Amino acid sequence: MNALQGTLWGFVVVSALVQIAQVQHHRDLLQVWQAADKQRYLLLQEHTRLVLEKSTLLANGRVDQLARKRLNMKDPEQVQVLSE
Amino acid sequence: MTETSLEPQENSIVRWRFTLVLAVFGLLLAVVLGRLVILHTVDQPFLFEQGEKRTVREEVQPASRGMITDRFGTPLAVSTPVVTLWLNPQQVNIQQLPAVAKDLDIPAHTLVKSVERAASQGRSFIYLKRQVEPDVAEKVLARRVAGVYGDEDFRRFYPAAEITAHTVGIVNIDGKGQEGLELAFDDYLRGHDGERKVVKDLYGNVIKQLEVNAVAENGPDMALTIDLRLQYLAYRELKAAVQQHHAKSGSAVIVDAHTGEVLALVSQPSYNPNNRATLKPEDMRNRAIADLIEPGSTMKPFTVAAALNSGRFFPSTQIDTSPGYVRVKNKTIRDHRDYGVLDITGIITKSSNVGVTYLAHKLGAEVIWDFFTKAGIGQPGVLGFPGEAVGVLPYPEQLDSLRLATASFGYGLAVSPLQLAQSYTAFAGGCRQSVRLIMRDEDKPACEPVMSAKVSRQILDMLETVTSDKGTGSRARVEGYRVGGKTGTAHKVGRGGYEDSAYTAVFAGIAPISDPDLVLVVVIDEPQGQEYYGGEVAAPVFSRIMGQALRLRQVAPDIPSKNTLQMAGGGA
Repeated sequence: MNALQGTLWGFVVVSALVQIAQVQHHRDLLQVWQAADKQRYLLLQEHTRLVLEKSTLLANGRVDQLARKRLNMKDPEQVQVLSE
Repeated sequence: MTETSLEPQENSIVRWRFTLVLAVFGLLLAVVLGRLVILHTVDQPFLFEQGEKRTVREEVQPASRGMITDRFGTPLAVSTPVVTLWLNPQQVNIQQLPAVAKDLDIPAHTLVKSVERAASQGRSFIYLKRQVEPDVAEKVLARRVAGVYGDEDFRRFYPAAEITAHTVGIVNIDGKGQEGLELAFDDYLRGHDGERKVVKDLYGNVIKQLEVNAVAENGPDMALTIDLRLQYLAYRELKAAVQQHHAKSGSAVIVDAHTGEVLALVSQPSYNPNNRATLKPEDMRNRAIADLIEPGSTMKPFTVAAALNSGRFFPSTQIDTSPGYVRVKNKTIRDHRDYGVLDITGIITKSSNVGVTYLAHKLGAEVIWDFFTKAGIGQPGVLGFPGEAVGVLPYPEQLDSLRLATASFGYGLAVSPLQLAQSYTAFAGGCRQSVRLIMRDEDKPACEPVMSAKVSRQILDMLETVTSDKGTGSRARVEGYRVGGKTGTAHKVGRGGYEDSAYTAVFAGIAPISDPDLVLVVVIDEPQGQEYYGGEVAAPVFSRIMGQALRLRQVAPDIPSKNTLQMAGGGA
């Protein structure tokens, strides 16, 4: 009877310790997940910022203006001497 | 001598004091224990609830709205992460608010006043500022002001701004579609927000996740058939034309003649969807699909096609249009002048009202109505957009001789510019394509046969004569390409019937004629000044857009050049 009681108490103690460890493990994982989620969020911010920046730089109106004003480009003609 | 005892003497006062102190301590302990028992039993539900209220949060993780792109993946609408700052007036320290207000560039006294008012009303939530740039929000949250929190949010940006504003549409501050595709496909683009229950500390850090009710699912991306390059040049040319002619509005539609894919859909005036402060409802109207126009002479090719398709007429059939007018039910239908005897091609080239009236009366209302219906005239809507115009085509029994005559040259019926462009795809092989704006993986949908391939070829050749020197649309010509089309100038309908001095100038055309690639419809509404005919106002816009569009799409010129490209140093 004493041996059985001892075993049961042992189980109780072990399961309590396991539960404490699991809770701690869960919190550690939550921290890791939170950090990863924050990283994802920051990367998403960076990605969309770059997408918008690229779109702004490549905007047809801007390229059109730059090509005409800065590079002196013009619409192609049907017959054209490319260079002399 | 007195004898002194070294034994401690019993002192009743000491014992009494000891007992009293012990009793007081015991009493205090009993009170504490009693209080503990009360807190753990009687007050437990209340305290548990209050504790939960202060630490457990039902948190919504917003889903990112799907990106809208053009056919090549160029972004047209992008959701970017921002932060919505809010505060709990019950927890916040008023003294710290001026610094927060300074970071957010809002007047400190306004913020303090609104927080004090909310606190006095017992509220535990007010927005500090919505959709704040992440770096600004970080600065505010770094102050670690108790009661100030930041939630993830998304803000919609439209990189192409005015150019695609009408087509893509706009969302409100809550990310809900309000106009255009954003409204039509709101459920598809929105995705599903995530929901979880977490324990948070005073500064908003999650310290425990209790349950996850839903995982955030971002909205899927959506690719449009729009080609942003064509959209841009159509927008640029249309805007220039509307400004040049001081027109009320305008629209242009480019459709792939073989697939029905809408490559450009522009309207004027437009608006900048990135700046909600300047939005005007009248600028937000997508005139290419929401406005109905009487197509005028641009309908004549359909009347002629119906005649040729009946087998009773041929391109060479001669029709006498003398004396340049015809009386129908006490109304006079006129040509610009007496063209005399014209063949069927000549009717299109000269845009003869008398000629098409003759053909329509010979064919009868039933045949005309059936042909127009197959061509897509009078359809309820072609894209399924909210606010899309419903076409108007009177039933055969409503088409008496006068209404039949006017319908044959595009009066008494109504189409949107997009519907007109869709109808013109029938001339590229005889089959009308169903226009679409969303890219789909599935095979090309079946088209609606309208006329035989032979008749469509004959009509194309006739449309080409319109852009010849003899035709009404010579200004629609494009160097290097065979171009066909039809001009249209329709009187606008006012309160007292047709207005004398308000017109809609239209040009609908197709190119290149040898192997049609694009259909383009240009509509200029109420051009002011001396020029108001479709051939004067809309045709030049058509020419500029079509020429650039064909070159951009690398469509081979179908007019052989007399000169060859000269290369410097070329030997041969």
